[in-house]
Amino acid sequence: MKTNSLLVETRALSFGFGPRPVLQQLDLQVPAGSIFGFLGPNGAGKSTTLRLLLGLLPAPAGTVHLFGHDLARHRRAVLGQVGALIEMPSLYDHLSGRENLEATRRLRGLPAGRTADVLATVGLSADAHRPAREYSLGMRQRLGLALALLPDPQLLILDEPTNGLDPTGIIEMRALLQTLQRQHGKTILLSSHLISEIERVATHVGVLQQGRLAFQGSVAELQRRQQGHAQVVIDTEDAARCQLLLPVDLGGAAVLGPGRLGLPYHSPEQMAYLAQQLVLAGQPVYALHCQQPSLEQAFLHLTEPALA
Amino acid sequence: METTLTFAQPGPLTQLRRCLAADVLKLKHTPALWLTLGSGALPVLLFGLIFFFKGQFLLKPGENPWPAYILQSWQTATGLLLPLFVVLLSSLVLHTENKAMAWKHLYAQPLSRAAVFGSKLLVLLGLNLLAQVAYAVLLVASGWLLGLLRPALHFADFAAPLGAVVPLLWHTFVATLGILALQYVAALWWRSFAAPVAVGMACTIAALTLMRWDYIDWVPYAAPLLSLKAVGKGLAVGWALSTSGLLALGWAAATLLLGYVLLGFRHEGAAR
Repeated sequence: MKTNSLLVETRALSFGFGPRPVLQQLDLQVPAGSIFGFLGPNGAGKSTTLRLLLGLLPAPAGTVHLFGHDLARHRRAVLGQVGALIEMPSLYDHLSGRENLEATRRLRGLPAGRTADVLATVGLSADAHRPAREYSLGMRQRLGLALALLPDPQLLILDEPTNGLDPTGIIEMRALLQTLQRQHGKTILLSSHLISEIERVATHVGVLQQGRLAFQGSVAELQRRQQGHAQVVIDTEDAARCQLLLPVDLGGAAVLGPGRLGLPYHSPEQMAYLAQQLVLAGQPVYALHCQQPSLEQAFLHLTEPALA
Repeated sequence: METTLTFAQPGPLTQLRRCLAADVLKLKHTPALWLTLGSGALPVLLFGLIFFFKGQFLLKPGENPWPAYILQSWQTATGLLLPLFVVLLSSLVLHTENKAMAWKHLYAQPLSRAAVFGSKLLVLLGLNLLAQVAYAVLLVASGWLLGLLRPALHFADFAAPLGAVVPLLWHTFVATLGILALQYVAALWWRSFAAPVAVGMACTIAALTLMRWDYIDWVPYAAPLLSLKAVGKGLAVGWALSTSGLLALGWAAATLLLGYVLLGFRHEGAAR
């Protein structure tokens, strides 16, 4: 990654609550124009990192740079270009959806038309007059996103934005994030515990494990790194019989189902050889393919040692 | 991708104005606003009813009823009701942010901490003043009404002492500033409704109990009641602040300065 294309960059960022270290020497790099999926098990330090990026917590060691500028020195200037949704949306239940947005619009001194714009963007125009206390969890989340979008920021920092959304809401949120990135050039830093969600939208991924980055880079790069975890999947009639007939080649294979076997992938030649051996042994081969690990599997591989 | 960053930032006064505009909007439909309006009206209503039904026993025949009416009402209001009002008001105003877990949202905006601190303080001062002015206006108005409804009390025979009510209001308002500052900083620090209210109520009751103590002037929760020391014979009230009034101002200045510095160490670490 080129340093000048980074919108968010932390250098040796460390943080602890009392003697307990939460983040250790974190060098986070979020490229401009990316959707950066920030993954990690619960308690890994994702929310703490996002709070540090917004200046909500002081960084005792290391630095945070947003847009290439030191957050500690230019907090107000850089935050003018940032929209954030941290954990549960901050909503005033006694105010309507529109008034909630209006309060933040006034805080930022934005043009009056922005409120209607973002209400339309998140699909809440029809419910804007209702008090926020009447909103469903999904509507609250969308209003929280509208608050983040209000200043038309270059950088969006979203902490678990799909929390509480139903499947339709999740699909809409995903489409919205992709539109914001592709059509409006926004950079989105997104934390989530839903790996499948990150997999669908992220262009880049950072995996946090016990306060350290276990990986960061593009999704393709992560999958390349996980090549060693790719496996050959064989669909046949009887997995046990295949193992019995080909004990040398398939004896160590994992039985994934009554007619499905899986074993570590080595090369295309290995796949051709297995097909040949199965046919020679008189076994039907319905399918034979190399399965790349999903982001979920990659995540589990990266975090495995600590979980063990 | 090149990113451009405009470093043009709003000045401190613009930030304060923006915060204030947002804070005023947040007051809509809140108990703080109703408390403010109710606190001005309730003591007047109670005292008006007392004088309407029992005024003949509370006033000396033939004398101007205004000084007794104003002073007795003011004494009741400043001894207990006013300190409790300030205690409740400061907690209620800040509870709006606590309930919405909005501190993290507020401090992630491109605003200075001073603007957020100053704006909420101005809202509190404004509501406090509004309640006291409403009380004073309604008290005078209730006297006029008693003049119409109970001519035997002779309210209509004498002019309302407007010249005394305004400086009296000044003394009372200044006297509440020490409590307001202490409660404001406590509510900001604790970020809970109950804790600062409990402490404030305890301090108010303690102050009433210690009213005969030699150093009572130093107790800010006693200052509203002590502000009546400024009242001379025949409801003559000067503008010069009494010792307790000056000390209330001192408490306010010291608490706000120290509180602002201390609150700089309070961060948005947990879910707020």
